[in-house]
Order: sequence, then structure tokens, then C-alpha cells
Amino acid sequence: MKAKDVKPGKVIRVLDASTRPIDPATGKPLEPRAQPGYYPGYDVLSQQAFWDAATRKVVLDRVRKIPPIRFFTPDETDLFRAVCDRIIPQNDRDSDHQIVIVNFIDERLHENRLDGYRFENMPPDQKAYQLGLRAITEIAQHLYAKSFLGLTTLEQEFVLKTVHDGNPPAGHDIWKRMPVHRFWHLLVQDIVGIYYAHPYAWNEIGFGGPAYPRGYMRLENGDPEPWEVEEKRYEWEAPLGSPSADYGAIAGMSEHPGAPGQRGTH
Amino acid sequence: MKTPLFGAFGAPGPKHMLGAMQSIDGRMRKYGNQGEVDFCIVGVGSAGGVLLQRLARAGFSVVGLEAGPLWDTERDWVSDEAGSHKLYWNDLRITGGEHPLTLGANNSGKGVGGGSVHWAAFVPRLHPSDFRVYSEDGVGADWPICYEDLKPYYELLEREIPVSGPAYFPWGDPHGYPYGPHPMGGCGDILINGCTKLGIRVCIGGPVAILAGSHGKRPHCIYRGYCIQGCKVGAKQSTLISHVPNALEHGAEIRDSCMVSRINLARNGSSKSGTVTGVTYFDSQGHEAEQKAKAVIVCGYAIETPRLLLNSACPGFENGLANSSGTLGKYLMAQAGNVVLGRFPELIRMYKAPPAHAMTEEFYETDTKRGFARGFGIQTVGPLPIAFARQMTIAKGAWGWGMRRVMMDYNHWGAIALLGEILPWPDNRLELAAEKDKYGIPVTKVTFNLHDNDKKMIEYGKNKVMEVMSAAGAEEVVQEQRYAHLVGAARMGSDPRTSVVDGFGRTHDIPNLFVCDGSVMPTQGSANPGLTIQALAARTADYLIAQSQFGLKKGAHSSETPRIRYDLSPPDTWGKGVPHLK
Repeated sequence: MKAKDVKPGKVIRVLDASTRPIDPATGKPLEPRAQPGYYPGYDVLSQQAFWDAATRKVVLDRVRKIPPIRFFTPDETDLFRAVCDRIIPQNDRDSDHQIVIVNFIDERLHENRLDGYRFENMPPDQKAYQLGLRAITEIAQHLYAKSFLGLTTLEQEFVLKTVHDGNPPAGHDIWKRMPVHRFWHLLVQDIVGIYYAHPYAWNEIGFGGPAYPRGYMRLENGDPEPWEVEEKRYEWEAPLGSPSADYGAIAGMSEHPGAPGQRGTH
Repeated sequence: MKTPLFGAFGAPGPKHMLGAMQSIDGRMRKYGNQGEVDFCIVGVGSAGGVLLQRLARAGFSVVGLEAGPLWDTERDWVSDEAGSHKLYWNDLRITGGEHPLTLGANNSGKGVGGGSVHWAAFVPRLHPSDFRVYSEDGVGADWPICYEDLKPYYELLEREIPVSGPAYFPWGDPHGYPYGPHPMGGCGDILINGCTKLGIRVCIGGPVAILAGSHGKRPHCIYRGYCIQGCKVGAKQSTLISHVPNALEHGAEIRDSCMVSRINLARNGSSKSGTVTGVTYFDSQGHEAEQKAKAVIVCGYAIETPRLLLNSACPGFENGLANSSGTLGKYLMAQAGNVVLGRFPELIRMYKAPPAHAMTEEFYETDTKRGFARGFGIQTVGPLPIAFARQMTIAKGAWGWGMRRVMMDYNHWGAIALLGEILPWPDNRLELAAEKDKYGIPVTKVTFNLHDNDKKMIEYGKNKVMEVMSAAGAEEVVQEQRYAHLVGAARMGSDPRTSVVDGFGRTHDIPNLFVCDGSVMPTQGSANPGLTIQALAARTADYLIAQSQFGLKKGAHSSETPRIRYDLSPPDTWGKGVPHLK
């Protein structure tokens, strides 16, 4: 079922066979791993003695020092954690190797750390998060007559997909104050910005990580450095019926270049 | 092998480092803010750094006020994407219009070196045609100067920076670069393979302001790929690395973490004329202070420069200083910077090598068959994981398991980008907003709309870049629309009724108030603006030095082209490299 088929007020029942990715060979859920991805045995942190001291401190603090929650209320924290778990699902990671996301976004909002701009039709980031979480609650109530936290993971994905697609069936008063696609981008770009800043995620994708003062020497043909590892691919499928497994344009974005949190590339 | 031969790299030593091998300890002169200095420079970035160095070396007393820190690159900078957030101008600005610009990390630096700290360091020159866009195409504007006026300064700065690149660069005014090209990384291979298949000329290994060989106290590039996170190595040029040390040696003072709030004016009676007396600023402790100067040069880039001039409105200058034309804040430009991403069956690992290392300007000039004026370039980029993930949220609409899947393939993706000329339009502008920053200074509201010519150029250019990516062998090609760079909004011109400054950066309205940065550019071409900004700064410096004979404060001056002061280059730069220019 596609989220666009969701009619306001219609309750969707979704079978929640598994929250974990599937091994297509057996049809069974894959066991959680310390390190998903195609670079088994690659550990970027094992190279930390080769990094400069300032970089080592920044990266290790990220791993070891989880900031306390100061901005979100306890209810908002629980709700936002569930949202983060759907935007970047980590059900394929074992519990020791999951990447904390909520606390770092909470820290940014607590410190009111900006990215240098605000769209004229957006409220300040702090307010945008509070409004957005309220809207997600309203969509969950509208579609399933339950709180977001009371939904299965697939149902939660369907709620978020209505925001991704730019056609949320509830929260209309909120969306008058904040364009749906702008909120979606604020949310998604913040979350991926935290996940892919973490060395565990670098291991997962085979990214070389900090490289000063040593540098890289094998620049062409995708060759690994002596301390990097070769790719070893395996097949996996997203949990059955997961709408986030499909790619699709975000409503409103083709006409609106520029997204929150975007970085310069040239 | 888990540790280096001599143990883990330790904490930095006591010295203030600019790059891995250069330190600036104990060299800064302090003028104090009691007396009057010759020049006060507001913003020590690409232009401000060059001006500071030139004017100090020529013997003037000069103070640079910079809103951000004087970086110690060993302590302050990291080899890490998320950890480099502080390099950008992150304070609030409001952005709107039909096609709003993103600011901050996308185009705005803060701290000594300014945007040159986090640029990718592509340094192509403008083409001769860029200086007469209105005459040739009936759109945009003409510059009050021509290519030949700037050419000697391009040659000068290409040696001071210095630039690595091809021996023969075939576009615009063909020329060669003083230092050899860089080796190719994955994205460079993609651009070269794709262009070659399509018969498009392409150049390899530059031009970039990144050292391919060691130079003075600067080591060569180590190909770590973190150019836009600030080059800890000191191989990539920023004015912090290339010009500030020499400025300090010659007695310049930099007051960092000082935010200038207004430029002060002594009005001539009740007339609409006057001279500036200096600036008011908030020092690093937040206390208000004043610096008197015989002349003020505003080098705050395309947002902060007009913002300061607008915020300095006073009786006789109610619409902002130097704004009798009403064009201050208007004709703001960004370049189209669509990133085209391609997935390859083989591994690319695009995080290695500088993001900037191969390009083509084959589509730079107007071609009437395409149905729009002016053109575009194609350049390599090399997004690191966070930038790439954010691009994928737009280019593929990725989230959830789809995001995890595409990111697991990060090493199979390569990226090249459009750099397209958006024309100057009066409705692309900045104004003061109702909101204020932490100092109580009104922030800016930026409005940006794409016009018909811009949209046609982006559509054509984007498709051409995607064609190159496919020709290179990508099995999937997607793109993200974005902007790069930021210029205009205090443009130069011959006519005081339609421009803010003259061809040397002197404001038409106030004889001892100058603007020198990207905001003076009337058009932008499809060249990255960094080299042009630094070349304009060196030229303005020569002009200021030559004009000082008339007195720095006085209105009397000539518009005679100044002698080029090759003797003011930082040591061991001018006269080095091949082709050998002296």
C-alpha cells in the first residue's frame, strides 16, 4: 500500500512481520550486526593514533560524550526518538552499536545553534521542531486513532511518508505556519547529519575518515589504502512493505532549490 | 600497524600555527583604538587579507576588524565534516523569494581568511567577455574595467596563491599555470572520461589554489579531501595562510572576534556629502569601541558589506551609506551549482583527493543556438558522507531504509557539478529585517528569484552535466539543484546613478569609503569568484597606495591606472614558477 492511497480517517492495518532487514535467500530477518555494510572488519577508530589531536578529540567526544536532553520535554523526547528510528532505522545494528541521534539534535536546539539562515516562511528551528512533532502526533491519530508511539514501525513509516510526500492528512493549522517540505528537510537533514558524523556509520559505508596528517595515497580506481578494506557485498531487503525502501521525489522540492543544512560542495 | 612509528600524534605545541609548518607568534603590532590609523579594513577574508598585506607592506598603519576568530589551524580546525561548522557565518539571516538561497555553510565564511578558509579553491579567471556582457548580449551589465585591466593582477595572484594547474588552459584568454597539475581522484576521472567520450575539451589537475609541490613554509597537498573543512595542512590557499603572516610581519593589526556595527560619518554641513571617520564595533568582550581611520575599506562579502552600509544610514544618507543610486543591496548573484551524482558499478571512493581538480569551460560563452545568454562550466566536486547523504534526501528523496541502502553504496558514487552564470537582477536583493542579532544590529533578509534566462541555462546545463556523467559510465544519474557562491549587491560601475562604487572600489558618494570584495562584481561569469576577488583587492591596494599622495581623506583623486606594485608580493611568490613572469 502506498501512502498516497491513504484516505483521511481510514485506518490502515499493516502486518509487522519484522522490523529487521530480510535476507532474500532465506526470506528470514537478518541477525543484528555490530557493523552492517559491506566493509566487514573495517574500523576507522583503530586509526585514531594517526589523526591530529584536535580531530581525535572531536570524534571521540562524539562517541563517548552523549549530551543530556535539555530542550525537548520527556514526551517530545520519546516521540522524537521514535521518529529518528524511522528516518534512520537501526534495527540491523546490535544494541551496543546503535548511534545516538536525539541528544545531539536536542543539544543544537538547546544552544539554538543555527546554520546561518531561516526561510522566510519558516518559524525558528526550535519552534519548527515543536510544531512538527505535534503535527506527526495529529497524523498518527488521524490515520490510526493511536499515538505515534503506539503504532507498529511500518505504521510509523506510513505516517512519516505522508510528510515526505507533502500530503499529510492532518495538522493543517500547523502546515499553514510551516511548509511541509521545509519541515521534512529540516528533520531529515539534521538526522542524517548526526548519523553520518559517527565513526560507526563511517565503518558501515567504508569512508576513510580523518586523514591528517597522514593523508591518502591511492586516489584512483577506488583502491583502498593499506589500512582500508575491500568491499564485500551481501544482499538484503528492507522489512516487508517498508515505504521508506522506495525512492521518490519530495513534494515541492523541484521548484525550490536549496534545503536546510545544505553544505557547500564548490 | 595501529600507531605511528614514533607514537600517536600529540597535542599541538605552544605556537600559533597557520598550516602544519608556519607559525605567527608574537608578531602582531597593536595600535590600540585611541588614535587614528591610515586604513581600517572591515572583514579580513579573501579581499581583506590581500589588502591588509599590501597596505601594511607599503608602510601604512592598518587595522583589520574581523567578526570571527584568528584561527590557530592546529587547535581550531579538524579533519571532520560536522566539526567544521564553526568556519561558517552561522548567525541568523532570513532567506526568501521564489527560489531562496541557502546561506551559512553554502557560501559564507567567518574568521580570518573568510570564505577562502572553506572554498574548494578552484581559481579560473573571468573571460574577457565577462566584462562586457551588456554590450555583447544585451543582458546584465558591463564592468567599468576590462579584462586587460585585471589580467596583470590575475597573473600576480596566480603566483602569490600560488595556482597548480594545466600548462595550457584553452578557454577565455588562454594561459598556463605556474605549478604543475594535481593527480586525478575518482571524480576527476569521471569528468575526463565523460567529456572525452563526448568530444568536450577538459582540463586536468586544476586550476586550483592548492600546492602540488611544497612552497616556502607550506607543505604540498596530502589528498585527504577535506578542502572545504579548512586545510589543516596549509596546502590549500586561504588569505590566512598566504597573506596574513606577511601582513603581520609588516605591522598590520588584526582585531579578531570584533563585529563592526556602523561606519561613522562627518557630514559636510547639511549637504549630502561627507567623509567617514572610522567605525564603531563590538570587541571580543562585547564592549562597544571605536576605531578612527583616514579611510575605511569594507570587505564583508555580498551580505555583510551591504548590511553594514545599510545599517550605517544617518542624516543626509537616510537610505544607507553610499546608496545615493538606490542600487545598494540589489543585483545580488549566486551561481547555479547543481550537483550531478552518478552510481558506478566499480568503486570510486570520492572522499580522496581535493574536491576541486578537473573542469571544463567549453560551454562558458553565449551560444545563440542554446536559446539563452551566457553559459556555464562543469567542475568536479567530492561530497563527504554528510553532504552526500543530504544531497540524497533531495536527489532521490531518500530516507529510512532507502537512505541506509544508498549510503552503503557511498563509495560507488561520484559527483560533478554545474557552475552556471545567473544574471544580475534588481529584484535579487537584500534588505534589513525587523529581527536583530545578539549585538542588536538588524539582520538581513535576502530575496532571490530565478528569471527566464537563468532557468533555461540551468535546464540546459544540468542536462549536459548529466549527459557527461552517463557517458562516463554511470548506471544511475540523479541531481540536486543548488547554488554556489554569492557576489554583487554593491556593484561597481561608471555611472554613479546605477552603481555603488567605481572601478577601483571607491564609493561614488564618499571619497574615503571603499568597498572591496565579491559584492562589487556587476556580473559573475561561470568562474568561481575567489581569484577575481583577490585580484581586485590587489588592484585596489595599488590604487590606494598611488592615490595616497593626494591625502587619504580628501576628495581630490585621479582615476589614473596605478603602477602595479610587484614589489609588494609576499616573499618568494612573484617571479617564481613556470611560465616565468617578472
